[in-house]
Amino acid sequence: MTSSQTSRRGWVWHALSLLILAAFCGSLYLASKRIDYTWRWSRLPQYLLSTGGEEIDAPFDGTVSIAADDKTLTITPLLGVGAAQTIPDIAVPLVADGEVVFRGNTLGKKPGISAGPLLIGLWLTLRISFVSLIFALVLGVLAGLGRVSHNPTARDVASFYVEIIRGTPLLVQLFIAYFFFAPTLHLSAFAAGVFGLSVFTGAYIAEIVRAGIQAVPKGQTEASQSLGLSGLQTLRHVVLPQAIQKILPPLAGQFINLIKDSSLVSVMALTDLTKAGREVVSSTFSPFEVWFTVALMYLILTGGLSLVVNRLEKRLARHD
Amino acid sequence: MTETAEVPLIKASDIEKRYPNGTLGLKRASLSVALGEVVVIVGPSGSGKSTLLRTLNGLETITAGEITIDGHLLHERAADLRRLRTSVGMVFQQFNLFPHLSAIENLMLAPQKVLKLSAAEARARAEKLLAKVGLADKADVHPAQLSGGQQQRVAIARALAMQPKVMLFDEPTSALDPEMVGEVLEVMKQLASEGMTMCVVTHEMGFARAVADRVVFMDRGEIVCEAAPAGFFDAPTHERLKTFLRQVLKA
Ligand SMILES: Nc1ncnc2c1ncn2[C@@H]1O[C@H](COP(=O)(O)OP(=O)(O)O)[C@@H](O)[C@H]1O
Ligand SMILES: [Mg+2]
Repeated sequence: MTSSQTSRRGWVWHALSLLILAAFCGSLYLASKRIDYTWRWSRLPQYLLSTGGEEIDAPFDGTVSIAADDKTLTITPLLGVGAAQTIPDIAVPLVADGEVVFRGNTLGKKPGISAGPLLIGLWLTLRISFVSLIFALVLGVLAGLGRVSHNPTARDVASFYVEIIRGTPLLVQLFIAYFFFAPTLHLSAFAAGVFGLSVFTGAYIAEIVRAGIQAVPKGQTEASQSLGLSGLQTLRHVVLPQAIQKILPPLAGQFINLIKDSSLVSVMALTDLTKAGREVVSSTFSPFEVWFTVALMYLILTGGLSLVVNRLEKRLARHD
Repeated sequence: MTETAEVPLIKASDIEKRYPNGTLGLKRASLSVALGEVVVIVGPSGSGKSTLLRTLNGLETITAGEITIDGHLLHERAADLRRLRTSVGMVFQQFNLFPHLSAIENLMLAPQKVLKLSAAEARARAEKLLAKVGLADKADVHPAQLSGGQQQRVAIARALAMQPKVMLFDEPTSALDPEMVGEVLEVMKQLASEGMTMCVVTHEMGFARAVADRVVFMDRGEIVCEAAPAGFFDAPTHERLKTFLRQVLKA
């Protein structure tokens, strides 16, 4: 069949794809039937967006007094140091008038819509991926340049780094980051997660950068040097601009991997999307709905990133 | 000849190039090129022509001997080497234009970054040179959209933008389709007639005969003999040169 025929009847093929997809979903449903699973999708939205209101915690140890409207709450410091604090618009007070509370105790709930645990987890996943991405890029570009450097020490150090990281599992590296580097370098769990993820991803980016640079023909460097440009100027104005086009597609793949790999930080007392999923499962007993939803949320992140990178790639490729 | 011709612009004395893998690319070759002179280097493939040319602007280091450019020793110290390179222009067989830059940007890069010209000065200089090689209308075109002949002319203009004292050409027409050879040779002839000092490695014997002040024959890493074109082509004395000329002229 010629390609023009394929494109003219394109919708037939796409309809077939949809049919296959539907059959797949149907068989998933049937499979769940066989183990007597009750789907309760209605339980899920509250874990994305919570309408139960936002919990208000006590800012310090103190005595609570509730005003006549039953909504305004005043907390007076226990030892009489500092000013009393008034908190308005508490919909559901969870403490009684005159009760003594300690810092962090829940005083009540404020009405309104707030992010549920899954969205909060998604936000952490986004933040840790983004921060790690920045560090991984810096690390990866430096190590990649080291791999192609004329300086033997730079080459050795960069190779050592890349080989060690690529030769050990990410989960083990994260444990080392959390149990060794976090206490010795006084890192928070988040910082330790960023540390582990960016050191890991940096090693892969280094290889991508090395391959990109080596793909630029030697004649380019020679032409640049014969014009009197220094090594650094050659790198900056001749080699890197050409390497970047070759680096970008695999780099995008690596960023997507980073987002997915970040799910492993859920072992480090960090409530990312995956950890949030686990917590929601244990309170809803609806693992199927939760994990499908979590998967979809990861897909939205990675798919969005793919789109952005495709755009960028097209723009960079204009000149070839 | 004028007095300046007595101090050669390029003087390579007994230079040797042993590649890291042990190949001897050059065996004790000596060559001097006077100001305004056009020297054409010919010889069979693998005879060391490229190696010789590349040592003259420091793209290859030498393992023995010494090279002076305009009286300065070609040091291996990066800073000195860079300064000397600005006075030696190089044109490659494969053009080696920067594909991510337009034609005029190819010409402007080095003058701006190395000579610290302003963008306006570099642009004015580049426009003049593009016009000189007949490509004023291609200023904003990227190399991929130019023919081979056009690319090589841009590459010549790019080297000229640094206002070098000498231009080295390494088989500038060997990668071109036959119908484009003429336009590149024409530009080179014009340069020669303006008094540019040139070292040209080429298989274009017609060009050598017409333009060269001196023709140098290389074989197996050695400079076997050199002579003015008339004697070189019409009364070759050296056996190896005779064999070479027979093969080239037969082809
Ligand atoms: N980078 C290199 N490493 C090792 N040997 C080389 C290298 N470049 C050239 N040679 C060798 O040096 C000799 C001269 O090569 P070259 O100067 O390129 O010859 P020509 O330009 O006359 O064809 C050849 O034997 C070639 O194989
Ligand atoms: Mg050659």
